[in-house]
Amino acid sequence: MVQDTAPSVPPARAAPRRTPFADLGSWTAFAVFVIVAWEIGSRAYNQPYLLPAPSQIIAALREDAPLVLFYAGITTQETVLGFVAGSVLALLGAMLFVWLPRALENFLYRAVVTLNSTPFVALASLVVVWFGLGITSKVVIAGLYTFFAVLYHAHKEFISVDPMREYLMDVYNASWLQRMLLLKLPSALPIIFTSLKGGVMAAVNGAIVGELFGAFEGLGYMILDSRYVGNTVRVFLAAVFCTMIGWVLLGIVTVAERLLLPWHVSMVQERP
Amino acid sequence: MTYEVGRPRGLLGGGIQQALDVVVNFSLDVQPGEFVSVIGPSGCGKTTVLFLLAGIRTPSAGRIEVCARPPRDAVRDGLCSVIFQQPVLLEWLSVEENVLLPLRLRDPRWWLWPGRRGQYLERAGQLLRTVELDAFSHYYPEKLSGGMQQRVAIARALTLDPQVLLLDEPFGALDEITRDRMNLELLRLYEQRALTIVFVTHSIEEAVFLSDRVVVMGRGASPRTGSSIVREVRVDLPRPRTAALKEDAAFFQKVREGRAALREAQQLQ
Repeated sequence: MVQDTAPSVPPARAAPRRTPFADLGSWTAFAVFVIVAWEIGSRAYNQPYLLPAPSQIIAALREDAPLVLFYAGITTQETVLGFVAGSVLALLGAMLFVWLPRALENFLYRAVVTLNSTPFVALASLVVVWFGLGITSKVVIAGLYTFFAVLYHAHKEFISVDPMREYLMDVYNASWLQRMLLLKLPSALPIIFTSLKGGVMAAVNGAIVGELFGAFEGLGYMILDSRYVGNTVRVFLAAVFCTMIGWVLLGIVTVAERLLLPWHVSMVQERP
Repeated sequence: MTYEVGRPRGLLGGGIQQALDVVVNFSLDVQPGEFVSVIGPSGCGKTTVLFLLAGIRTPSAGRIEVCARPPRDAVRDGLCSVIFQQPVLLEWLSVEENVLLPLRLRDPRWWLWPGRRGQYLERAGQLLRTVELDAFSHYYPEKLSGGMQQRVAIARALTLDPQVLLLDEPFGALDEITRDRMNLELLRLYEQRALTIVFVTHSIEEAVFLSDRVVVMGRGASPRTGSSIVREVRVDLPRPRTAALKEDAAFFQKVREGRAALREAQQLQ
């Protein structure tokens, strides 16, 4: 009766999927290219104080390895804690927003927008005053950076689900929680992951900004300290480590995205 | 039964749209086991009627009952099910998970019971067999053609074993070959399961081929008055109906009748 289910059906999920680590090769190639270009450029320019070559930075790393790695560990810790707390709170916040009555949602939304339009640098210096020079203040700042990066997108996605799908949920009498977990959250996930990728970078930024405003350890502290004594190579070294933290964390989020969203179009179809 | 579109709020909306009676004087009594099609010019409120029957919208005046209860309750009790113009499948769930979605929504703590997922999957498998998609149960809906996706939607609508099926131009987006085949599938399900069907369409041939009765809607004298039923055509062609019926003179006669009714409906405007 129906022709397109002929016996010669291919096995389920035959479409080639991108593996989680598909981009690793191209990233490595990119890194090699940047380092080689930088080395050549810097040697041609020959102003080590302004633009040290990668080889000099590696030499500096060899000298200070334990301290740099220790500082990088501190900054990573601040970034990860801030990122996780910030994104979880942002998701819960966005859910709370759609759960609340409209008037309260509007009120809170305005509060969030106000807070977000306050210059972050002002906010960060206040947070350092409130939470001290330790790791807590940096986690809070990294968390704030992430929170705002994720909240807007998640909230926007939660309220713009296709109305037909909402009707479907109406028809089958879905509860608020079912609607959130089975409809709103999955349909928001692609955008949420995009905002998480922005959020992870924002968290690195937040942690460094926090350290610049007062700390006694971490890569931001190292940047400040090295600049005072005119050690540009160490500033670069710290910056390189910040970049690497960002890369690794971004990689983790990307892998999580590929594992969680195999159904998402941009994952299953190659861009033309 | 009347239905009024809400007055839009906002700075720019006020002047453009106003509260509007979409459907007025709509009285329809569908017998158990009857197949009724609702047809009418585009924008006359066919979908609104269906949404009212499905309890998705509530009428501003009048009374609607489905299976002797308010439409919302009928739908919630699984007695009545809806199929939309688009399949409305969730693309992050596999075909079989989409089909068992109604069961899952009705039973929030299903995952606490060890055997239940198996039961549900078995039920989904059965339903997918009735729409002949069992080989595709593990696929994501995006991999399927439009007709196959709509068949998944039909399987999902049958999950709670309803007595009444409401369809809103379900095959409107499909090509003619697929549409003909889907019509035969629907007739087979209708006859096997003794369903009662309200079917919204804009194709007279489709309406005549499927139904016992075709209800023609038309807009009122001015754009401000709502639509109502203007004609009714009884289709007393024998059942079970097969593709051969479409070559039959009696069928053509009914289509001609339906077309005349629709023309009259449009002239009333």
